[in-house]
Amino acid sequence: MTIRALKQISTGRNGVGAFVLQCKKMDFHYCDWAGSSRGMNGFIKSLLPKFVGSHPQVEFSVSPRPSKHPVIIAQYINGREKAICVRNMEPYEILKKAELLRDASGEQLRKVTKPVQSINESVRGVWSPYHGNGMQV
Amino acid sequence: MKRLRLDRWTGQALVARSGACSASTPRAALRSAAVPRCAAVRSQSTSAVLQIPKDDEYYDGTDHTRFPPLERLPPRATSLPSPPPERALKSAKLAALRARLSLPDKLPLQTLARALVDASADDNPLFNNTNLAFVGQSLINYHVAEWLMCRYPRLPMDILYAAMKGYAGPASLHQVARSWGIEHAAAPGGEVDPGLLQFSMHKPGNAILGFGTRRAEADGMKKYKWRHSLSNRVIFDDDFGQVVADAAEQEKPQLLRRADTEYGNEYTRALAEAAYSTCARAVVGAIYAHTGREPVKAFVRAHVLSRTLDLSRLFAFAKATKELSLLCAREDFDPPTARLLSETGRASRTPVFVVGIFSGADKLGEAAGPSLEHARSKAAMNALKSWYLYSPGEHVRVPSDVLVEDARPWEPAYIDMGEIIGR
Repeated sequence: MTIRALKQISTGRNGVGAFVLQCKKMDFHYCDWAGSSRGMNGFIKSLLPKFVGSHPQVEFSVSPRPSKHPVIIAQYINGREKAICVRNMEPYEILKKAELLRDASGEQLRKVTKPVQSINESVRGVWSPYHGNGMQV
Repeated sequence: MKRLRLDRWTGQALVARSGACSASTPRAALRSAAVPRCAAVRSQSTSAVLQIPKDDEYYDGTDHTRFPPLERLPPRATSLPSPPPERALKSAKLAALRARLSLPDKLPLQTLARALVDASADDNPLFNNTNLAFVGQSLINYHVAEWLMCRYPRLPMDILYAAMKGYAGPASLHQVARSWGIEHAAAPGGEVDPGLLQFSMHKPGNAILGFGTRRAEADGMKKYKWRHSLSNRVIFDDDFGQVVADAAEQEKPQLLRRADTEYGNEYTRALAEAAYSTCARAVVGAIYAHTGREPVKAFVRAHVLSRTLDLSRLFAFAKATKELSLLCAREDFDPPTARLLSETGRASRTPVFVVGIFSGADKLGEAAGPSLEHARSKAAMNALKSWYLYSPGEHVRVPSDVLVEDARPWEPAYIDMGEIIGR
């Protein structure tokens, strides 16, 4: 018995085999009375039905939130949620915000400094000082 | 001020007591929780005796005229162990899940709902996912095994088992099911949303979910670590080469008792992992039942085999140099010799030696290490790994490719002699 197997678990890469949209639920909250919800009410009447119809993979809910600003809350597969307050916005601005939430991965926003992030090992390999002929200085 | 999160409180305070006094707010109800215990002692008290309802109907203290239920449940739904199938058509979560996985409309929501009911939630095999999961498990394991065997024909059996487990084992299928966005209900029951995974946190289900025999000597093998050979494992054990264990022997009474009060413990995590992996298998079984062979193969490729597993990290060698020299003898190569390719700082605290293993003029492997012996054995391991991980190509044909109509006839795949040193 010279070879022993170690335990490893495969890691998923969303989009390599199948793509799963990371936003799983969106809640739209509005108020019937307050003026800051005027755009949201217009959005719910005019734009939301088409938006919902084109995204069957997301669960939608619309509910009143009296005496509060309108808000969109999105829940993601990684367990996090993101909320955007859409007070005093026009319906098309709210649509932009809804699309932003739909496209988000749910991860916390962080600065991306490297052009490529990958779990694959480098094709060229790591540079080694012990190989090659070196350079005479 | 921060809002009180009543749902985060430990279970004891939230259990609906039968005959709880009618308090105006939930907080007032919690404050008066100690009253009934005193009332039992003070028989002379003039305070009103609390009335305990006679019927067994579950009542959680909600004022149903102020807060009407969101969904009108069918009669006696709360007494059922799992939601009735007709409720699946109204579940938004379920419809979203089907669309998220791009499942065809041929797969009815009722079947998908059934795939989310674990055997620990509902014993009835007509309503839980046992049968679907059995089919799904066979299909996943078949596709993973044939792909691994054709893609890496020289894998030793031990490593093949570990790779199978890495792709299709319960831990990775648990991750797969989580990545689909499946959530679980706090407790199973007829009234919960059918789009939630339902399993019991108190008992494992008694479903049989795979091939393999329960060995008579399993207890002795566990206690005395009796040796069992690999060919023995192939015949008797499950698809991952593991001894089939009873569900009952995994129970841990102390952990089980604490399962309600703790946020989660080792035992509940194991139950959740088993339930999620069973659910992922059941979804695959459901796809097979309603759409057939090819869609299920594409689904397994897309969700299971597309995941990354570095097979070279599965190997642990005991005697790499010995195994390499036996390999060279078997394959009629020149006997392997280790040569120092380059070195630095031999007399220093951190020397580096680069050693290559050569067979004649061919370099079989190379590695750098802090000592000559270490570098040599690492180089031998690299040489062995490159032998064992030989692959005919990334897009190899597998036997199930022939089952498609007008497919090219099967060309025999590469079959290896086997491991260098058996056991």
